[in-house]
Formats: sequence, structure tokens, C-alpha cells
Amino acid sequence: MSTVLEQIEQQIAKLSAKAVRKNTGTIRTLADGVAKIDGLSDVMYNEMVQFPGGAIGIALNLEENEVGCVILGDVSQLKEGDEVKTTGKLLSVPVGKALLGRAVDALGQPIDGKGPIDAKETYPVEKIAPGIIERKSVTQPLLTGIMAIDSMIPIGRGQRELIIGDRGTGKTTIAVDTIINQAKINKVGLASGDPKFRPVYSIYVAIGQKNSNIVRTIAALENAGALEYTIIVAAPAADNAANQYIAPYSGASMGEWFMENNMDSLIVYDDLSKHAVAYRQISLILKRPSGREAYPGDVFYLHSRLLERSARLDGKGSLTALPIIETLAGDVSAYIPTNVISITDGQIFLETDLFNQGIRPAVSVGLSVSRVGSAAQLKATKQVAGKLKGELAQFRELAAFSQFGSDLDAKTKSQLDRGARVVELFKQPAFDPISIELQVVTLWAMQKGYYENLTISKVMSAAASLRTFMTTRHDTLLTKIRTKAAVDAEIEAELKTACDSWQSTFSA
Amino acid sequence: MSVQSKAAEQFARQLLKLSVVDGSVSPSQVAGVLEYVEAHKPANAVMVLNAYKRLVSAELSRSAAIIEHAGPISDAIQKSIAATLTAKFKRTITTTVKSNPDLLAGIRVRLGDDIFESSLSSQLTSLAENV
Ligand SMILES: Nc1ncnc2c1ncn2[C@@H]1O[C@H](COP(=O)(O)OP(=O)(O)OP(=O)(O)O)[C@@H](O)[C@H]1O
Ligand SMILES: [Mg+2]
Repeated sequence: MSTVLEQIEQQIAKLSAKAVRKNTGTIRTLADGVAKIDGLSDVMYNEMVQFPGGAIGIALNLEENEVGCVILGDVSQLKEGDEVKTTGKLLSVPVGKALLGRAVDALGQPIDGKGPIDAKETYPVEKIAPGIIERKSVTQPLLTGIMAIDSMIPIGRGQRELIIGDRGTGKTTIAVDTIINQAKINKVGLASGDPKFRPVYSIYVAIGQKNSNIVRTIAALENAGALEYTIIVAAPAADNAANQYIAPYSGASMGEWFMENNMDSLIVYDDLSKHAVAYRQISLILKRPSGREAYPGDVFYLHSRLLERSARLDGKGSLTALPIIETLAGDVSAYIPTNVISITDGQIFLETDLFNQGIRPAVSVGLSVSRVGSAAQLKATKQVAGKLKGELAQFRELAAFSQFGSDLDAKTKSQLDRGARVVELFKQPAFDPISIELQVVTLWAMQKGYYENLTISKVMSAAASLRTFMTTRHDTLLTKIRTKAAVDAEIEAELKTACDSWQSTFSA
Repeated sequence: MSVQSKAAEQFARQLLKLSVVDGSVSPSQVAGVLEYVEAHKPANAVMVLNAYKRLVSAELSRSAAIIEHAGPISDAIQKSIAATLTAKFKRTITTTVKSNPDLLAGIRVRLGDDIFESSLSSQLTSLAENV
């Protein structure tokens, strides 16, 4: 008996005393966060390598006699001749629910001063996107809480919808509104105790932004009570290019954890233009050949492999992506914008002109599309907003024409009038998402002509007053609309009585 | 890497091939190579020789293992390490020993850019990393 145990112990001793093999190299040159390393003959592509002092690098260029590594973290301690070791591991980040409510850097380390994160699992940062067989088409809505989007450019869970526009046109605001709306829906849904309710967890990846902007976004989320359902991954402008390059992939891994574990999640990449610039910097320092606009040849793959990781998996969860791209002077035909447009399932195009005219959110209805979302749109929204997109696009055209002539026939006049009301109706302040049942009520009232007799400038406040009226007095009706998700005869009758009584109070 | 240094690197590689006989660097071949360079003065001779030196030293380090140890190490152990490495890499590998008290206890064998380590200090480090 004891000899058997002895044998086992010997075996254990043998194993634990076994020599560990490590492959090493020395730093030959070091510049701009990229090290060229001699040796490392066994290193794998994308493997993590260990630098002295705790910094880690990723082997990106494997050449005949040197290895090019980007360094994540502090490079100021490193010098030529330092020894570098392979780790045999791919770069991984912590994943799981422990990260919710936290702000982390590109490697998943906390930066919010709230102490260590107790994550049980890690996921590799680079993962192959799910294949065709595992995927399922998009059929469940992801509500942004922005009326113009939910009614005309609906987004489904697992979709990739690009938000594109010039600087300062409200791109970030739309993404943050969407995150806030998910938190609101989560709170209502989880409180209702409905076993079929699927909460959406959000990840906001800030790439190359000013720290002050990131702080503002976090504050907005916190004020709205949305931070507890959100992970912030920040690689601000002051971080080196390697961190900015990795951050979106880290965020995607965190989102994939939710997807793989039968939950729904939403990821915002703010923004991929700066991501492409960070990657261009790395590529140029690594002396990779450059192409159009000095971007390297694989810049398309850079974003396609990232966005392909968003999906709805059969029998599991989903990962919806809202990538953001900044354009210059509305030019969507520049290299990076065209690339990302071609990878995504549609885009929300924001226009500076509209923004400056006070039409906010400045969504250009004509240029925005959602290629798969209508399959996911709720029946109720379809019923009240089915034709709005076409109508609004026609209105913009007519409005442009009517500037030239004053003699308009009655039909055109009424069309213009109605269009102006719809535009007014879709104006919505920042960080104030509207629940889908209130959207239905607002649009139903539009459809039935309740705003017809108001002066146009009053429409927005009238709609807001209708919503307050409904929330305070007709909560059961709202719940009914939410659970049925369609407007049937019964709901229609109740809506009519409610709106009639509102109209008397409002005009009075 | 400039075009010149690339060409120099390639030339140095060819010179290295000439210098290796049966998997190890042959002193007489190296002498021959140096004579040739002396006589023909190829373009960028300094660059070529620097690259050549780097390649030869890498090649030499691939067959000369350095055994660092803390605590006594017997001749027999040294021989058995040399024999094991020779068998594993299928080329003659010589060993030299060097005392390194930083290891606390155990040995570390460095061969080329590989390190094989079984020492108390490395186990403590990995323990610290995994706790
Ligand atoms: N719907 C809105 N109503 C009123 N103000 C808005 C609205 N959307 C955005 N804004 C304001 O417009 C400004 C710019 O918005 P935001 O930061 O979202 O734009 P952006 O396109 O992300 O800008 P950047 O290019 O700097 O990232 C902010 O001050 C914001 O408060
Ligand atoms: Mg922004």
C-alpha cells in the first residue's frame, strides 16, 4: 500500500521538478512602443512575450532574423539588450459579470480605483468569429430608445449597425442613449420577474479619446443608473498605440462571454477611425508596406475580423455591435468609412447641417439604412411607423424644392406641413431615451392626427406632455402595449380615450 | 531595414553556411571565409562582417550550453546534461558551468535562445504569479 503511494509521490516530485523550458531573446531596437527582438526563435504569431519589469508585448512580425513586438504598458523602463521571454500564451483578458460597473484598460485591468476585479475566467483577445452553422438570423429587437431610429432604422440583436458622421454630430450620444435604454429595460424586465426576459449588458470601448470625454460619458451613464450593466474599456489618447489597437478586441472578448453564456450584449466601439489610425502607426513603425492613405494592406481585415465576432448564436446569446466612424466633411467614400460600411449591416448617418438646424438627433433618414433590423422590429412599431421613413424622405425632397417657388398646391402644402410635424416629433434631447410603449403612443397620436391643430413649434412639447400624461395616468395601458407588442382593436380603443382626455387637458 | 543591410545580411548568411561543417562551426572554414573577405572586399564589408559575427555567435551558442547552478554540481551531472542535450538536438553540445547564487537552489541551462530551468527561484516566481 505505502509503496504505491510512494510511487505516486515520486511521480509527482518528478513532474513538479521538471525543468521549464523558456525561449528568450534580447531587445535590439526599441522605438515608439515597438521593439525589434533578436532570438525568440520559438515565438508564435500573436503570442504574449514577457518584458522585464512586467510589461508585456505581442509578437506581430515574425521575420527571419528578428521579431517585431508591440509593447503594452510602460516602455520607459526598457532598454536595448534587455532579455525577453516567451510565455506560450495568447493575450487574454478577464471576462464575466464581475466586470460590470467597472472601467478597465485594454488588458482588463481596473483603472477606476474601485479595487481588484474578481473575474473567474479569461478569454483570448483574438478569437475566430463564429461560423455559419452556429449563427441564427436576427429576429429580436434591440431598442435604442431613440424614436427616429427605433421606428425607421430598427436594430436587431446580433446586428452590426454603424454610426457615422462628422465630429460633434452626436454619435457618442446615440450610443450612450442606447446603453442607457438597455439599463432602463433591464430594470423593468428584471423587476417584472418574467422568466423569458433577456437583459442586455453593454460594453463601451473608448479608443483614442480625450480622458475628459471618457469621464463625461461615464458620468452620464452613472447619472442614468446604467453603469451597473456596463463595462467601460478605455484606451484614451494618452495610451500608446498598441493599447488602442487591442482595446476593441478585448471588449469583444468580454461581449463574447455574455454571448457564449446564453446572454445578450451590446458593444460600442467609439471610434474605429481612431483605431485604424493607431493600427496605421504600429504598422508603419513595424515597416509593413503601406497602401492607400498610408494604411497597411490588412486594414480591412482589422475591422472585418472584429465586427464579424458580433452575431446571434443558435441556442445561445447575441452580441450586437455599434461601431462609430468619424467622417471628414461628410465624406463617406474615404477609405476607412467605405470599408466599415461594407462590413456592417447598415448605418445611421448623422449630418452636420441637420445638427446645426437644431434637428437632433441629426439622423439623415435618406442615407441611413438597417439591412436586417426590420425582421426584428416589433409589430406595434411597424403598425404606427410603417410608412414614416418614405414619407420623411419625400418631405426632405419637397422641402428642398419648395424653397424655389411660393405657389404650392394644397396637396404639397399639406404634405410639407405633415413632414415638418414628423421632423419636430423626432427631436429628442440627449440622454433621454423613450421606452417603446411611449414611442408607440407618440407615433399613434401622430398617425391619428392629434398634433394637427398645433403650431409646429409646439409639437415637441405636446408629445412630451402626452408621454407624461400616459405614464402618470395610464400605466396599465402602457404595460399592455409593452407585453402585447402590437396595437389591436382593444388597445386602439383605450388609446383613443386616453389621447382624447389628454387633448382636452393640453389645449386647455 | 535598408536595401544595403538586407543584402549584407543575405551575404553573411551565405558565409555562415560555408562556415558550418557537420552542424558545428569549423574554425578552419571561418578562417577561409575571412581570407576570402579580406581578398575580395565585398561591398559594405563592415556590415557584412558584423552580421556574420552575429550569426556565428548565435550558431556557436546553439552548441555551447551554459549551466548556471546554485549549490554543488558534480562532473557526472554535467556530463549527463551534455549527453541529454546532444541526444535531444542531434548535434554535439559542449557545456560550461557558472555559479549563480540568485537561483537559490537548482540549475538553469542556457542553450542558444532557449532556457531550461529547474530552480527554486523560478518555482517561487511561478508560485507568486499563480497565487
Ligand atoms: N439629441 C441631442 N440633443 C441635444 N444636444 C445633443 C444631442 N445629441 C448630442 N448633443 C450635443 O452635441 C454635442 C456633441 O455630441 P457628441 O459628443 O455625442 O458628438 P460626437 O459626434 O460623438 O462628437 P465627437 O466627434 O467629438 O466624438 C454634445 O455637447 C451633446 O450634448
Ligand atoms: Mg464622440
